Amino acid sequence: MAAGTAPRRADASGAARLPDTARRRIATERLASVAIRAGGLAVILAITGIFAFLVVEILPVLLPARVALAHDAALAGVVPRALLLDEYRTHDAALGRDGVVRVVRLEDGAVRAEQALADDFVAVAGDAEHSVLAGVARDGRIAAAPVAFTASFEEQRRVVTPSIGAPIELALFDDAAAAPAVAGPLAVRAGGDAQAGAAALAGGGVALVQRRSERNAFTGETTESLERRVLATPAPVTALALDPKQEQLYAGTADGRLLRFDLRAGVAEPESVDAGGAAISALSLLIGGRTLVVGQADGALSSWFTVPQENGPARLTRTRDYPSYPGAVRAIAPSQRDRAFLVAADDGTLGFQYSTSGRTLWRGDSPLGPATALALAPKGDGGAIAAEGRLASLDVRASHPELSLGSLFGKVWYEGAPRPEYVWQSSSGDDAFEPKLSLVPLVVGTLKGTFYALLLAVPLGVLGAMYTSQFMHARLQRWVKPGVEIMAALPSVVLGFLAALWLAPRVERLFSAFLAMGVAIPVAAIAGGWLWSRLPKRWVARVPDGTEVLWIGVAIAAAMALCVSLSAPLERALFGGSFPAWLETSTGLPFDQRNAVVVGIAMGFAVIPIIFAISEDAFSNVPADLSAGSLALGANRWQTVVRVVLPTASPGIFSAIMVGFGRAVGETMIVLMATGNTPILDWSPFNGFRTLSANIAVEIPEAPHGGTLYRTLFLAALLLFAMTFAVNTAAELVRHRLRRRYGRL
Amino acid sequence: MTAPALPLIEKPAMRVIDLKLWYGSSLALDSISLDLPERRITAFIGPSGCGKSTLLRCLNRMNDLVDGVRTEGSVLFGGRSIFDPEVDVNALRKRIGMVFQKSNPFPKTVYENVAYGPRIHGVRAKGELDGIVERGLRAAALWDEVKDRLHESALQLSGGQQQRLCIARALAVEPEVLLLDEPCSALDPVATAKIEELLLELREHYTIAIVTHNMQQAARVSDYTAFLYLGRLIEFGETRELFVKPREQQTQDYITGRFG
Repeated sequence: MAAGTAPRRADASGAARLPDTARRRIATERLASVAIRAGGLAVILAITGIFAFLVVEILPVLLPARVALAHDAALAGVVPRALLLDEYRTHDAALGRDGVVRVVRLEDGAVRAEQALADDFVAVAGDAEHSVLAGVARDGRIAAAPVAFTASFEEQRRVVTPSIGAPIELALFDDAAAAPAVAGPLAVRAGGDAQAGAAALAGGGVALVQRRSERNAFTGETTESLERRVLATPAPVTALALDPKQEQLYAGTADGRLLRFDLRAGVAEPESVDAGGAAISALSLLIGGRTLVVGQADGALSSWFTVPQENGPARLTRTRDYPSYPGAVRAIAPSQRDRAFLVAADDGTLGFQYSTSGRTLWRGDSPLGPATALALAPKGDGGAIAAEGRLASLDVRASHPELSLGSLFGKVWYEGAPRPEYVWQSSSGDDAFEPKLSLVPLVVGTLKGTFYALLLAVPLGVLGAMYTSQFMHARLQRWVKPGVEIMAALPSVVLGFLAALWLAPRVERLFSAFLAMGVAIPVAAIAGGWLWSRLPKRWVARVPDGTEVLWIGVAIAAAMALCVSLSAPLERALFGGSFPAWLETSTGLPFDQRNAVVVGIAMGFAVIPIIFAISEDAFSNVPADLSAGSLALGANRWQTVVRVVLPTASPGIFSAIMVGFGRAVGETMIVLMATGNTPILDWSPFNGFRTLSANIAVEIPEAPHGGTLYRTLFLAALLLFAMTFAVNTAAELVRHRLRRRYGRL
Repeated sequence: MTAPALPLIEKPAMRVIDLKLWYGSSLALDSISLDLPERRITAFIGPSGCGKSTLLRCLNRMNDLVDGVRTEGSVLFGGRSIFDPEVDVNALRKRIGMVFQKSNPFPKTVYENVAYGPRIHGVRAKGELDGIVERGLRAAALWDEVKDRLHESALQLSGGQQQRLCIARALAVEPEVLLLDEPCSALDPVATAKIEELLLELREHYTIAIVTHNMQQAARVSDYTAFLYLGRLIEFGETRELFVKPREQQTQDYITGRFG
């Protein structure tokens, strides 16, 4: 037994008595491997985290829209034909042809306020903007009841109290007794200083009344004007809409025509456009009063607005079609917040549409069957729907309905634009503004800036690295390489500042000199080198190796000076004294002071050190015995570099260019300061542009948290991320293939 | 101690006369004088750091590439010193080819490796190049092994094949002298044997200088041997004579393995 245990003990003590240095080495090795692994994982986690964060911020865009029944109340014996909702969606105001305005609490169906406007109306209408319900009697008298909802707080609870104000009276005709019979439909706008009503007449035509009160700011006197008109129409009118400024009256006819009366022009011929056969059954103007939504008896639904023509006046044009409804479109309720609208059709279909993006957000069955009236709540988060004897409120939710693949990346026909186009214009001072969120101009701007930057940086960076590592004297090389790398540490805000305030005005003033330099500098460098090679060997031997760089530097400086001094006479001779002016007049291209050339130079300077440093490493890493092998065959330096070193270094040079590309795509500060940030879609080097990154920097402070613009900016960030990721991945794949081919590194 | 008298009777292809070389301030070659006889193999032997590779690299001015190298004395080739400033160093290197210790084929195809030299010296015609490539590969005893993979990457060849490809590449520019810097040090015995066999064939047409660490190799392949030690040429003579009865004690000690 003793013999058996002795060696085992020896083993154990041998393991325990490892020399200290060995133990330390093992510990260090373990520590290093843990630290390296942790570092690598942390990088991957960080990138995944950024990606996940971006996706989480964008995800709400994909939430589906929803329209659902909230409350349902009976209203026996009444057929509501016009509806209003309060801001908190607690009450519905309804008006039917019986002439009684009723405000119903949705919770329990209790009628909280009631007022009779007339005995009998032939048509009723609502004006959601002014919270007014109105009706017209057969004799042309219009009565409009303002409905107010006051919110007060009692013991931390909000209590909404409805009230019906004194009716506003308007008459379509002077003498009610002698008036022609009014048939409806009716359109009413009842603001404080201006009211208008229009109704179709049983015998054809439309009667219109407008009342305006103007208060003289100096005297305090109020003058009132009243105007009545009868407008002839070519066919019976089946739908009417008045714009909020009360300047345009739109009418739809039984034979499917749209009529636009310009009320400012007195009584004039209406513009008439054919909407395609079926009778117009519903008309509604979206917020801003420019887009007209047209519903027809065959279920067709379309958007129209006036489009400027190159010659002649603007024309009402069909700009968007929505999927058809199975039944005649009966009611359209626009949102007061955005370009969403609810649609009800005769067969009981209810739809939720958005104009700019053309999206059908939701479509389903109405909870009450075929609707007689429809309204959207002021905040757009609820709706009201009425049928015979019933009233219901709806929960409406749509997250970012203005975003769709089409509106982000496709051409969109915006209100008032002559044709569909790519536009980025996210905000304006006006609430009724239509946000234009096309990312295309920004993507193009990003690529444009990158292109012009790489146009300068790739040749300079790669060739500079080639010269430094392959031709330059070692003593000089020791200074040049770190010197260029320090350039990378230059804050881009400094470069941007210099570009915008120092370089841009000079480029504008000396544009032809800058153009000439593009040719003159390479020519001077080559000529300088050639002259140097022709100098007698005795002279060359007297100066230290590598001095030719200084000589070539002098040649380049002389060429630049020559370009600058020749610039003025050159511009006089070729461009009539000023290049920007010549450009504008002879080619029609605008010249911006902050343009792609300036950015190309400034961003080129930011990218050069990166491309230089990585390609210099790639050149230097080509094994010396490869070039020695080439030189030993009698090849000269240039042949060796071009035929052996360059191909072998190509994977590294390729990745240098790709890293430079990534830097230029993501660069923010320089483009922010030196481009002018105009999001235009144009490849001209004389124009500014706006990049994705600069756009995020410019707009994120003004984007309300969680809003559509906010999400769109995050989408832009994700796009940027995806762009660099895709480029880097593709670069890595290409680099691997090149490396296999030119292996050895 | 001065260099021994030259014992040669054969016609020299290159003559090294009183060559001194400094790396910066340290003297690496001290007054070397020797002749490379035409169409003979001359081996340079000696312990590491003795200057044998430096001497070899002087012969086609590859040392020019090293910073801070200064030479004195001369190397005559074709009756002219190769250090003359008027000498076109690229033309010189075309005439004096070199094969390196570590095989260094270019990352190109086998064909392109051999065609590289002729191309840079202006041969463009496809037919002519084809002929040069085949001749080079045959001369390097590689043709049969690679004739079906001429257009595959040279980096896929074995180590021995790569080294013979480098020899073929050097031969393709039709040099007069071939310098080999420890060409077999990274090869296995079989590949080494092939190269040695090849050298004996090449001797028919080329003047060859070979640096080797391996004294058996020097004994096997060379006609003349130079023994260098600490930058000085200790002994130079016919190989058989130098190995059988060296004149110098240091040579005796080295070849019997007392130091190395």
